[in-house]
Parts: sequence; structure tokens; C-alpha cells
Amino acid sequence: MASLDDPGEVREGFLCPLCLKDLQSFYQLQSHYEEEHSGEDRDVRGQIKSLVQKAKKAKNRLLKREGDDRAESGTQGYESFSYGGVDPYMWEPQELGAMRSHLSNFKKHRAARIDHYVVEVNKLIIRLEKLTAFDRTNAESAKIRAIEKSVVPWVNDQDVPFCPDCGNKFGIRNRRHHCRLCGSIMCKKCMEFISLPLANKLTSASKDSLSTHTSPSHSPTSVHGSRRGSISSMSSVSSVLDEKDDDRIRCCMHCKDTLLKREQQIDEKEHTPDVVKLYEKLRLYMEKVDQKAPEYVRMATSLNAGETTYSLEHANDLRVQVQKAYELIDALSKKILTLGLNQDPPPHPNTLRLQRMVRYSATLFVQEKLLGLMSLPTKEQFEELKKKRKQEMEKKMILERQAALESQRRLTERQSDLASRATNGEVASFRRGPAPLRKAEGWLPLSGGQGHSEDSDPLLQQIHNITSFIRQAKAAGRTDEMRTLQENLRQLQDEYDQQQTEKAIELSRRQAEEEDLQREQLQMLQEREWEREREQFQATSLHTRTRSLDFQEVRPFQLEPGREPRTHLAYAPDPGSPPVQSSTVPKTLSPSSAGEPIRVWSGPPALSQEFFPQSTMSQQNEVPALNPFDEEDLSSPTEGTGGSPAAEASFGPSAQIPKEYNPFEEEEEEEAVAGNPFTTPDGPVSNPFDEKDEHHPQRLSPPVPGNPFEEHTSTNPFEMDSDSGPEAEEPIEEELLLQQIDNIKAYIFDAKQCGRLDEVEVLTENLRELKRTLAKQKGGTD
Amino acid sequence: MNVVFAVKQYISKMIEDSGPGMKVLLMDKETTGIVSMVYTQSEILQKEVYLFERLDSQNREVMKHLKAICFLRPTKENVDYLIQELRRPKYSVYFIYFSNVISKSDVKSLAEADEQEVVTEVQEFYGDYIAVNPHLFSLNILGCCQGRNWDPAQLSRTTQGLTALLLSLKKCPMIRYQLSSEAAKRLAECVKQVITKEYELFEFRRTEVPPLLLVLDRCDDTVTPLLDQWTYQAMVHELLGINNNRIDLSRVPGISKDLREVVLSAENDEFYANNMYLNFAEIGSNIKNLMEDFQKKKQKEQQKLESIADMKAFVENYPQFKKMSGTVSKHVTVVGELSRLVSERNLLEVSEVEQELACQNDHSSALQNVKRLLQNPRVTELDAARLVMLYALHYERHSSNSLPGLMVDLRNKGVSEKYRKLVSAVVEYGGKRVRGSDLFSPKDAVAITKQFLKGLKGVENVYTQHQPFLHETLDHLIKGKLKETQYPYLGPSTLRDRPQDIIVFVIGGATYEEALTVYNLNRTTPGVRIVLGGTTVHNTKSFLEEVLASGLHGRSKEGSQVTARSASRR
Repeated sequence: MASLDDPGEVREGFLCPLCLKDLQSFYQLQSHYEEEHSGEDRDVRGQIKSLVQKAKKAKNRLLKREGDDRAESGTQGYESFSYGGVDPYMWEPQELGAMRSHLSNFKKHRAARIDHYVVEVNKLIIRLEKLTAFDRTNAESAKIRAIEKSVVPWVNDQDVPFCPDCGNKFGIRNRRHHCRLCGSIMCKKCMEFISLPLANKLTSASKDSLSTHTSPSHSPTSVHGSRRGSISSMSSVSSVLDEKDDDRIRCCMHCKDTLLKREQQIDEKEHTPDVVKLYEKLRLYMEKVDQKAPEYVRMATSLNAGETTYSLEHANDLRVQVQKAYELIDALSKKILTLGLNQDPPPHPNTLRLQRMVRYSATLFVQEKLLGLMSLPTKEQFEELKKKRKQEMEKKMILERQAALESQRRLTERQSDLASRATNGEVASFRRGPAPLRKAEGWLPLSGGQGHSEDSDPLLQQIHNITSFIRQAKAAGRTDEMRTLQENLRQLQDEYDQQQTEKAIELSRRQAEEEDLQREQLQMLQEREWEREREQFQATSLHTRTRSLDFQEVRPFQLEPGREPRTHLAYAPDPGSPPVQSSTVPKTLSPSSAGEPIRVWSGPPALSQEFFPQSTMSQQNEVPALNPFDEEDLSSPTEGTGGSPAAEASFGPSAQIPKEYNPFEEEEEEEAVAGNPFTTPDGPVSNPFDEKDEHHPQRLSPPVPGNPFEEHTSTNPFEMDSDSGPEAEEPIEEELLLQQIDNIKAYIFDAKQCGRLDEVEVLTENLRELKRTLAKQKGGTD
Repeated sequence: MNVVFAVKQYISKMIEDSGPGMKVLLMDKETTGIVSMVYTQSEILQKEVYLFERLDSQNREVMKHLKAICFLRPTKENVDYLIQELRRPKYSVYFIYFSNVISKSDVKSLAEADEQEVVTEVQEFYGDYIAVNPHLFSLNILGCCQGRNWDPAQLSRTTQGLTALLLSLKKCPMIRYQLSSEAAKRLAECVKQVITKEYELFEFRRTEVPPLLLVLDRCDDTVTPLLDQWTYQAMVHELLGINNNRIDLSRVPGISKDLREVVLSAENDEFYANNMYLNFAEIGSNIKNLMEDFQKKKQKEQQKLESIADMKAFVENYPQFKKMSGTVSKHVTVVGELSRLVSERNLLEVSEVEQELACQNDHSSALQNVKRLLQNPRVTELDAARLVMLYALHYERHSSNSLPGLMVDLRNKGVSEKYRKLVSAVVEYGGKRVRGSDLFSPKDAVAITKQFLKGLKGVENVYTQHQPFLHETLDHLIKGKLKETQYPYLGPSTLRDRPQDIIVFVIGGATYEEALTVYNLNRTTPGVRIVLGGTTVHNTKSFLEEVLASGLHGRSKEGSQVTARSASRR
């Protein structure tokens, strides 16, 4: 890492040697390195085994990084002035503060009280039941009285000279009356009645509740002044002497009060107000939207990008569903808002406030969620998008092909270089150079190009989609969703790995066969190259040549990533990533590879000096780290592990033991192959590397027209099914319009309420416009 | 240590625990303020809390389909109201949370009132203070002392607030207090008492270095609350007044209806969060950027919507656009008003002299400047009075003190008697006799050298030379150099290491300038977290009211002195 300290040597931009993120300045790079990779040096240094772990780690990191970056940028305002302390806004969240519960104590006291209360109520109800158990209307009054007296002992008349409630003296005109429920005495004014229907209601309800639980229900009672009044006024009509109550039972106001409370409890238990019913429905739909909207957004994003992962039809269905839910939310909340507005008397202001608030929060909900729903492309648009995407892909393929060609050419050149250097005895030091350097170049666009997901393998595509969803989910803070997504991703990757392993095994077998042949060819080539190279070397000025080559060669590598980075989109900086190449190409081609850096790092005339900058640079990664591959590099210079165009510093292990199927190879290979879009769709048969290798001896031969790249795009099975996409096209558009009209109306309402008149104007203008469009459209379709 | 987060967590927990369904939040006057500081209405609406009611409001309807979350201070009135409420419950279920320790007997009487078993939760959640910023809390008590001693009611409220803060942050601190203040000692003892009594509550996981509570008294630094401020938050409070994050703009000329009262909360206003500690000039340029951003957006929004795509985009962007327009108009209005006041009251000039009075020791130049400004008709009564107050505080014992002359000038300027009396009252409140430490002339050599060098170099910004005295105190505290003779520990044990978690409480009110100082200390000192609190957060006006409420008028003595001196002159 010492070489990092001199920024002058880092000429290709400030690339992080580990994750190859392109950073703007040296300082950023340094801090990035310290933040992200400080803990990883050990891994690099460690055994080969750790490579696998690292690959996994790196993969995880890539998946997470996006979210982290966002968090960082969001808080930049605070962090930009940090001097070592911590901004109070950045203090790590502490745990919930202390608290203390009094519930058990509370319950203890309450239980004592409640028991008493419950016993009282139940006693009254049991008596009431006894009093209503016989046929009152047909019984004689004397008999009734006898039964009544048997239910509860009546208080002796002489004991009570005054009405206990109002204090009036009893006499001839003010007669004593007995409560049939508790036996106490009161005057006529203070007397109350329980009607038979009420009594029946109370007793029948109590039978249920008493059998289930002894305490009164949880739903309590409330104020009930009016009812008592009306009943007592009615009682005054009854004749003074008529003691016979056919359809009612006399009682004191205390008993009546208790019983009325009880009645209210019963009522409330059964009754659910309209608001609650509507509200429950509202919440239901909100939940539904919460579930479905993200799914839809995922689909729409994918479709709008011209991807074919989801079918347009399905997305349309989902859109309709979600929109339906929104409409229902809107309608329900409107209904809640206007609930009881026409009633007489009008509802309590608080009820209205509640309804307004529910409506308001529903509007907020709709605004927040609905407006995030992007629209779907129409059928034609989608076709276009697909075409565009295909074109892009093709373009990319061409670029890749060029890059591949270029790299082949370079490889051959390098081979000769290597040979020349080998004679100089400098091989060892040079050999370390190229790998990290090229890696850096190959990766360059990765950071920028992450947005375009062009993986041609459906599985890869899916994997990539999911990673981006995870990112989105993370940004949106939906951790649970993220979890499921990550689970998904894992499964996908496993499957993919498996699939790739099989392919890779087959591939490597075939490639191994070819290898011998190729090696021979290479040997020859190498010699030829070397000769040529030497001639050139002597003939021309090295400076000019290297410089001009510099451009030629750097460019292809920057383009090339079209192929490479994709791997990493899904797989993160996977050190062992392209083992297919390593198992085949590198071994045959690599002898020349070490030569490449000379040209890339043009400059000083002397060869030995030329290597200086880049070997130091490579040290960041390799040399000081005592990379396990070093050994191998040194021991087998002609096998040049670091040589393949896309090869990476770290793919050594697979190159080292490609044919022996070492324990790590499998894993690495899986991932490596995964990264290679060429091999996947049309299987091992049209493996581009095979072809490349075949062309190689001819050097700079143009790509075969029947290039597999093109084939595979067109034969992508996933492309087909999406063609049957959009059907419900037109109506949706109209629906959308209507929806938007509704929305704008809502805004107008909102704006009016806030008193923003200018806004209202703009909005009305829009509304008119929208309506006109709608009419036009209708006219057109009809 | 984040106090906003601590309170917010409590509220979130309450709402979560009550489960799904429509809810009403029942609060009292104080808890309404506490909740409003940490939650916005739309935020809380999303958690199905649709109504906010005061427990003491008579006009509440029976709504059995609502769940009630009660967040109340455990006062006698609240308990009584709650008992009435439970006798005739208006809501289906009650979740009761007290913001502080409630007595067993109160719990019992509540339990006995709950005949219908509507209460499902009774808890103490210690969110019993106003969380202003993550590192700043207040109790919104104006006038906590009578003379030099506590108003007993306020002492108990302050003790409750402070212990609640400790509980919500889960800190069981060692306590130091300012020796020169009797009130500080009293409060420290009361807090200690509560900790001892409720030792079960204060049993937290021990940290290596125990947290520290430092109790200070405003009278040790009366200069800070008298200065004009130039950072956004402090300036808004000084010139417009912040009350629970709300700013009353109704007196601003030509204000539109929906900007009469605006809310400035760092929790959900990004611009404010990023700018609250920047100075006036920086805010000016930032607000320009904000405006430009907005204008760009606005142009896009207001251009005629020609295609459906345009309309789609409009509808999609509208809420965001609206939100942004709200932020822009709010800050533009506030900053506009600030700059209007600055020029109207000639504040740049006034502030320069204030800073000179507070930070430099050149008596004749200071006197000259004060005299000059007193002649300026644009200098308001309040500004004139505080210039004289600062002079009186700084040059209280100066050999050629010419306070009487300035008092005459004040009267000639037509400054009301109330303000003139306050000059002497302020001196009595925080004069040399009272102060335990030297506010104006530092004693130790380092500080003297520092000041000397500062004088040589000249200052970068004449308006922000002043550092609150609190900075020095905390600096010493962090370095372990705070003298125990001036700030003794309560109890026998002392802190051997340098403190890490510090809670500073200022009796008589903190200021936003001090909040900024603490904020900067937090950012610049690794491993140290400081939370500042006060009985209230002062600006000059409220501080003068605090002085007035303390009853230290010094009327007779000082008044006669003035007349005597002026008489002798003649």
C-alpha cells in the first residue's frame, strides 16, 4: 500500500485495488480503502481458503454498499465538519429509556373492587330473573307481592321514616314503596321501573356472560341521563293506589342505575359503529397496497427498462389490483368523512374531527404510495424498449468482441515481450505487474455501469434484479422485505451456481483437451512474436511506439468490461471470478501476458524502468500481501496465470490446479462461469472462449460472423414469452387519466383548504387539460 | 444520549403497545408540548393516532370505538381527572403512561375507579422534559427562583425533569455543582435524594466511567443571554422567539395567513437541520441556493402541461413540490424577517459593541461606543438597556465606572423605567458579588496569553468573538481540570478518570449560544458526549423576565445610589 502514498503514480484514476471503485481523489481513495478494506488485508494474505470467504464477503458487500452509500450521502450535511468528536445527531441510538410498570399493583387493587361490584350486579340480575320467571300479567297482585317478597326481604316500614334519597317524610300522602330488587324503601318520586323487555334482555344476556365469565364485559358503559328521566316521568301517571305492575318491576334508582350500566355494556358489546366497520375495511386495503405496490413497482421498473423478466400482462393485472385498492381506499375514506353529516342532530365535533383525520391520513397514504407507482409501457412501447435493449446488447457485444480481439492481439504481443524479458531475467518482477493493473482497467466501468443491467442469462438477470430490489428496499427501510429478497437471492444464486458448475466442469474438460494443441501453437507464436518484437524494438524508438500503443491498448480494456463487470454486478468483486478463462485461456495465452504492461505503462525507455510504476502499484494488492499466487507466478512464468485479458490478480488458484479440480475450484468456477454471459445461454457448445482460442493462432483474425453473442440474445427463451404482453392496454391508460383527474381534484380541494389560491388555479388548469385529453381519447377510441 | 430520540422512543413504544385500531392520545398541557417536539402530526397519524385530546377538556365525546393512550404528568389534578374519566370511560381501552414516578396511593385510587376494567396498562415512561435538540433539553420554566432560592414548586418540577432525563438516558450519574450557588446545591441534593429513594430504578449497567451531572446557575454567566446572536437557531430565538419549535410570525408585516406560525424542527426540516448552527451570512447564501433549486423546479412545474406524460410527471412530483414550496416559503420568510429586524434595529452595530463589552477590556473605548449608540435613535429600548447592562456587569468595579451617566442617558433616550430598573437588577442577579468565577478577566496564564494573542491577531468575526463561559467550564471538566473548590462533588466519591458522558444543567435557563458551544464540543472532542439542559432556553427578553421574576430589583438601594451619585456630580 506504500505505493498508494504517491498519487502521481496512479494514472488510471483512483481505483480501489480491492473493489475497484473509482474514486475522485487520492484522499477519497485512501479513506475509502481505510474504511472499507482495512479489515481485509488479512484475508488477502491468508490461505487460499480465505479466498472463498472473501469472495462471499465481497459479494455481500456489493449487495449492501449501495444502501450504505446513500446513507452516507444523506448525512453529509452533518459529517462534513467532523473533527473527531461526534455530532449529536450522529450519536448511536440508545436503547429505550427506563420504565416501570404499575399494572400488577393496579390490577390487585382493582380486582378487590371489581369482585364486589360484580357480585352486586349478579345478585340483582338473579333476583330480576326470579321476578320475571312467572306470568305477571295473569297473576293476582297479592300473589305477585308474595313472590316478590320471597325474592328479597323487604325493609320494615317503621324503620324508614324518611325517603333515603330525597329526605321527604313518609305519610298518608307520601307512601312508602319497596324496591323489588333490594327491598329498600323510597318515595314515589324516587321510584323507578324496569320494563319487562329490559329485564328479559338483561337476564338473557347475563345467562351467557355469567356462564362464560363472572366479571362484566370489557366494554363499559357511559352516560345515560335521559332515559332515567323519561321513565320516572311516565311513572307519575300510574294511579297511586294501583300497586299491581303488569309489565314492569319497581326498583330504587340505585338498582336501576346499576342495571342500566349493565345494559349499556351489553349493547356495546354487540354494536360496532359504522365508522369502525368502514375503517377496518380501509385498513385492510391499505395492507393490501403495502403488500402489492412494491411488487408492482419492481415489475414496472423491470419492464420499463425493456427487460423481459416479468410479463406485461401480469404487471397490468397487478396494476389494476393496486389501483382498485387505491380507489377503494379513497372511496372508503370519503365515506368515513361524510359519515353522519346529514344526521339530525349533527354528530359531535370530535366525531367529525376523527373522520376528517382518517380521511386525511388516507389521502396522505394514497399520495405517498400511489404517486410512486410508475406507469407501464404500452404494448408498442414495450416492443420498442425491447428492441432498444437488444440493440444495446448487440452494441455491447460488438464492443466486447473488439475488446476480445484487441486483447488477443495484445496477448500475442505480450507473449513475445515475455519471452524477451525472460531472457533479461526480469520476469519475476514483471510478472506481478499486469494482473492488478488489468484488473483495475477491466473494472473501471463497473462502478459507473452498474445501473445498466444487461445480463443476458435469465438467472443472472433475475439475480441482478433482486440485488437492485434489495437496494431499493433498503433505501425504503423495509427490512422485512429485504430479508425475503435476500433469501430469494441466495436461492437463486445457489441454483445458478449449481447450473454453472455442471457447465463449467464439462467445459474445462473439453478445454483441457484442446489445451495441448493450443500450447504447441502458442509456443510457435511466441517465438515468432518475439523475433518480430525484437526487430521492432531495435528499429523504432521505443518512446513513440509505446505511447501510441498505450492508447490502443488501454481503450479495449476499458470497453471490455462490458463483459466482465456484469459478473460483478451479480457477484461482487469476486476474486476467483473467471476461472473458465483461467482454466483454459490463460494457460495457453498467458505466457505473453506479462508483456502487456509495458505498453500500457509507457514511458521510460528502459524496459526495467518501465515496469517500475506499475509493479509498485501492483504491490498494493499483490506483492506486499504475499499473495499465494505469487509463488505460482514465479514458478510457472510460462503458464502466466495473470495473463488472460480478463484475468484477475486473484484467480490464481484455479489456474494453478485447473485440471485437478481442487476443492476450491468448484466454487470459484461456478461463480466465474456465472459471470460469463457468453457461456451461459447457449451452453458449452458455443463457448466464445473456445472460438477465441481457435482464432488466436491466426492472430487478429476478425470475429467469426456466426458469433455466439448474437445467437444467444435472440435465442433467449425469456424474450419470447413477454411478447404476449400487454392486452389491457387502452383502458388502463384511460383509467390512469381518470385516476389522475381524481388526484388533481383532491389537490385542488387540499389547496383550497390551505388557502393557496395560485395553486388552485394551476391545478384547475391542469384538470381542465386532463379532462380535455380524456374526452379526446374517448372520441378517438370510440 | 440523544434526548429527542429518547422521548420519541417512549412515544413510539406507547403507540406500538396499544396495537392496531383507531386511537386517541390523551395528554395534559405539558405532555402535549413534550410530544409535539418529537412527533409531527402526519407522522403520528400514520400510526393510527387520529385524535389528540387534553384530559382536562370537557368537550370530549364518548367514542367507544377508540383506544385511549394517556400520556400524563403524575400531578394531583391529572390523577383526579383520570379518576373521573375511568368512572365514566369514554373510550374502550385505556393505556396509561405517567411521565414520572407516581405514588402507590395514586395507583390505588385509580385502580378503584376502574370498575369497568378499561385500563390495560399503567406504566411510568420518563419523558418528562422538552427535548429541543439531540443534546439540548428544557423544562420550560420561567422564573424558577425567588431571590436567591428556589421556588419550591419549581424545585420539585426541576428535580422531576432532571431525574426523568437521567432515567430516559439510563444514566446514574455522579453529581457536581457550582459552589457559589445555593440553588445549585439544593437541586443537586434533591436529585441525589430521588436517586437514593428510587435506587431500583437507577440500577443500570455500569459503565467504566460513570456519567456526570454538573449543576450550574445562570447567575455565574449573565453575559451570554444578553448578547445578540448570529447563528440561525439562536438568532431566530433572539429576534423572533422559539416556543416549542414554534415561531410566531404574526407580527411580521404583510405575512400571509398560513405563515403566521411556523414550525422549525430539525427532525423533519432538512434545511433547518443543516443550517441551524451556521451564521447569518452563510444562511443567506444557502437560502439563495434553496430558492434557485426551487425556482428551477417551479418553472418545470408551472410550464404548461401539454402531454399526458407532463401531467403524469406533475402529479407524481406534486407532493414533493408542495413540501419544498412549504420549506422555501417558510425559511425565506423567517430569514427575510431576521434581516429586516437587523437593519431596522441597527443590530450589526449594536452587536459589535456588545461583543466588545463582553470580550475586551478597553474601558474608554467601550464607554465611548455605548454612549454613541445611546444617541442613535434607531437603537431600541431593549438594545440600549442591554448595552448598559453589559457595561454595568463588566465594569462594575472599574475605577472610572460611569454607569450613573449612562443611566441618565438611558432616561434621556426615553427608556422605560422597567428596563432602567432591570440594569441594577441584572447586576444584582449576576454581579461580581454573586459570581463564583471570574467572567471577564481570566486568571490562569494560558487564558491570559490566549486573550493577548487574540488581541494581537484581531478577530475573524467581530460578531461572534464571544465564547460562553460554559465553554471554559466544560473544557476544564473534560480535561479533568475543573476545580473541586469551585465545583465540588456531592458525596464522598469523586471521578478519577476524565468524564465521558456529561449532563450539564443550568438553573435559570440555558441559551442557544451555549447549545451551539456544546454541539461544537461534542463534535470536536472524541469520546465525550455532552447534553445541555436548563430550566428554560433563554433569549434576552425571557432572561430579563427571569431576572424580574426572581424579585431582585435592587430598587431602593441602587436607585438611591444613582440619584446620590448624580447629585454629587452636580
